[in-house]
Amino acid sequence: MPSIKLDGQDIPFEKGDTIIRAAARQGIEIPHYCWHPGLSVAANCRMCLVEIDPMQNRRQIVLDVLQWDAAKGDYVPGKKPKLEPACQAECIEGMVVKSDTSPHVALARKNVQEFLLLNHPVDCPICDQAGECKLQDYWLSDQKTAKRMRDEVVHKPKAVEFGDTIVYDAERCIVCTRCVRFMEEVAKDPVLDKRERGNLGEIVLAQGRKLEGHYTMMTDHVCPVGALTTKDFRFKARVWFLRKAQTVCPGCATGCNAWLDYDPRTGEVPRLRPRDNEAVNKYWMCDDGILTHRRVNEDRVLHGYLGRGTKRERVNPGQALTAAAKLIKGGNVAIVLSAQHSTEDNFALAQLGRALGVSELYLSRLKDWDGDDILRDNDHNPNVRGAQQAAGDLKLRPLSELSGAKVVLALGGIADVDDETVLALAEAKIVTIASNHGPLTLNADVLLPAASWAETHGTFVNRQALEQEFHAGARPSGESLPGWDIVSRLARTLGQAIGFTRYADVRAAMGPRNTTPNAAPPPADAAPPAPAE
Amino acid sequence: MPQPLVGKIQYDRVKGTPVARPRRTALEQAYVVEVVKGLGVTMRHFFKNTKSMFRGERPDAVKDPLSEGITTLAYPEQKKVYPPRFRGVHRLTLRNDGSPRCVACLCCSTACPAQCIYIEAGEYPDGDNRRGYERYPVKFVIDELRCIFCGYCVEACPCDAIRMDTGRHAVPYDSREQFIYGKAMLMSLESADGKQLAENPRHEPPDPTHPGIDRLKGAH
Repeated sequence: MPSIKLDGQDIPFEKGDTIIRAAARQGIEIPHYCWHPGLSVAANCRMCLVEIDPMQNRRQIVLDVLQWDAAKGDYVPGKKPKLEPACQAECIEGMVVKSDTSPHVALARKNVQEFLLLNHPVDCPICDQAGECKLQDYWLSDQKTAKRMRDEVVHKPKAVEFGDTIVYDAERCIVCTRCVRFMEEVAKDPVLDKRERGNLGEIVLAQGRKLEGHYTMMTDHVCPVGALTTKDFRFKARVWFLRKAQTVCPGCATGCNAWLDYDPRTGEVPRLRPRDNEAVNKYWMCDDGILTHRRVNEDRVLHGYLGRGTKRERVNPGQALTAAAKLIKGGNVAIVLSAQHSTEDNFALAQLGRALGVSELYLSRLKDWDGDDILRDNDHNPNVRGAQQAAGDLKLRPLSELSGAKVVLALGGIADVDDETVLALAEAKIVTIASNHGPLTLNADVLLPAASWAETHGTFVNRQALEQEFHAGARPSGESLPGWDIVSRLARTLGQAIGFTRYADVRAAMGPRNTTPNAAPPPADAAPPAPAE
Repeated sequence: MPQPLVGKIQYDRVKGTPVARPRRTALEQAYVVEVVKGLGVTMRHFFKNTKSMFRGERPDAVKDPLSEGITTLAYPEQKKVYPPRFRGVHRLTLRNDGSPRCVACLCCSTACPAQCIYIEAGEYPDGDNRRGYERYPVKFVIDELRCIFCGYCVEACPCDAIRMDTGRHAVPYDSREQFIYGKAMLMSLESADGKQLAENPRHEPPDPTHPGIDRLKGAH
């Protein structure tokens, strides 16, 4: 593999790589604002300037500059090599690049930083980006001096609403045009553009348009400073209080990799952020995916309940389990898996079904939604394939085909159930294990609180048949427990030990995860995906 | 060779200096006379102090604590003057219009080692000049029982919004709830010399006092 030398270190590169990309592959960051691995090169921030030694038989371009001579107390003529942006310069075999080791580069970075901060309002206390802002990071690593300009800064529009999700602050903006390029290249909706030049530059909307569509919140994520903020996260938290856990978006079958940012003190999850994964979502997520963090704190089932409607009363989890076991012992049980729950939860429930001797299982799921070619899959559920895997040799049928059962044991509250099915279900006794309220919890005779996906470990199987693990962030709210744990406790109460006391037990029974993407549809003899209800 | 100490205390190692016993006369040994003498000293000081008290010659215990005479403090009528940098209970400084200077950045609660500050940030309502520019604390609560009065919150504040210059030490209360200072309570407190405003007012662009240039009316 060809390689370049960066600060004396060998960096291998692939054909067509720029210096910054080759370095990023090796985990070396060259300071930058406008470059993003998933976007085209703009080379307008000038932060990634590096010194490249002249190639063989080439003359180095040297510039005449005035340098401050402290001893003389005056500027004296000096020389400086022409620096080049690392985001645009392509790697050539044997290239020698100096980044952190070049005094010229250090001075250039310092000056670019000072230049970018000349008209910056420095309202870090108010800014949501504070704590993860590139301006702060590079000020500390490359500038560390106050600006020398004494004039009042240029004032530009603040708190401009770019749509229903995004607020723009032109004073904080460094006009790197990442958002413009994102909307044009990834979201395929060139609604943003840049106006004016120099210190008057700002991002504007196309006339008569607003920032809309499914990918508006990514503009906030690509923004290296606090210019674009989402209304959803605005003023909600300070990022240094948040901890992160790796998670998978439960929004659709794509299974975008994400970071779950949670507050360990309160258990709240104020946001999700995309986690880079070239094989699945690259660097992006859609708005609905990012907003799935609301499921952790909204409409939650936090305690055990008995009874329907106005007769519903809160009981402790042990009582609810006993009541559920009593209903299930009545016989003729129908078991409903959930395409919204992890494979582990579904697997435990399927095992209980086998122990109870059922021959077929049912699946509750959300209806299809508007997918696109970018990220969103038509299937609104994260784990239809996982439920199919969990069912194994048992037949998996859609929930609408359920009839004649005396008792229904259902997993998952988030589901679309049509009216006929609701009526058919209403005659049966229903035991529901759910994290969020939905059609299956409203009529439940026994309601058991399950931890949401953000509060437990688990696996979603995405449309490529990738089994992606997600980790628990916050602790389970209220009296909720992981779904597989509730199923296991219910089994023990029924006297049908399925033998799961730890998460590792469930995993051990399920076997290793598939981590190679496979875009082919599931084999024809497996249960077909349930049609939209 | 030293002998082991176990089981045997070596008294001969303890060396002392003999002290002459005090010599007492028979009168002193009789006790009563000496007691009367001692009471005499007490009474002499008693009458001396009461005389200076009645004549109004008593030194000020606050201003002149090292002088002769009675220098005890008649608390709470008399109080000691605290040094100017004494860290008392907190107050929130105000802007000219009476709103809190605080922008709810949570720097104070981040710096607080006792974690006694709770802040909920909010946006100014529609129509407010500051909407978009700043945020404000919807709730600002300090648990003065948890507080260790280290002053880190004041150091951390970028807006001069929180100060500990009230000159009040933690006041005793009847219940724990009374130590939980809310936003209104903190905003109502004054500094020791009666000030409530912040020292570094901020001039936002819509504000007439703003010195800068706006794109709409600027010359560039």
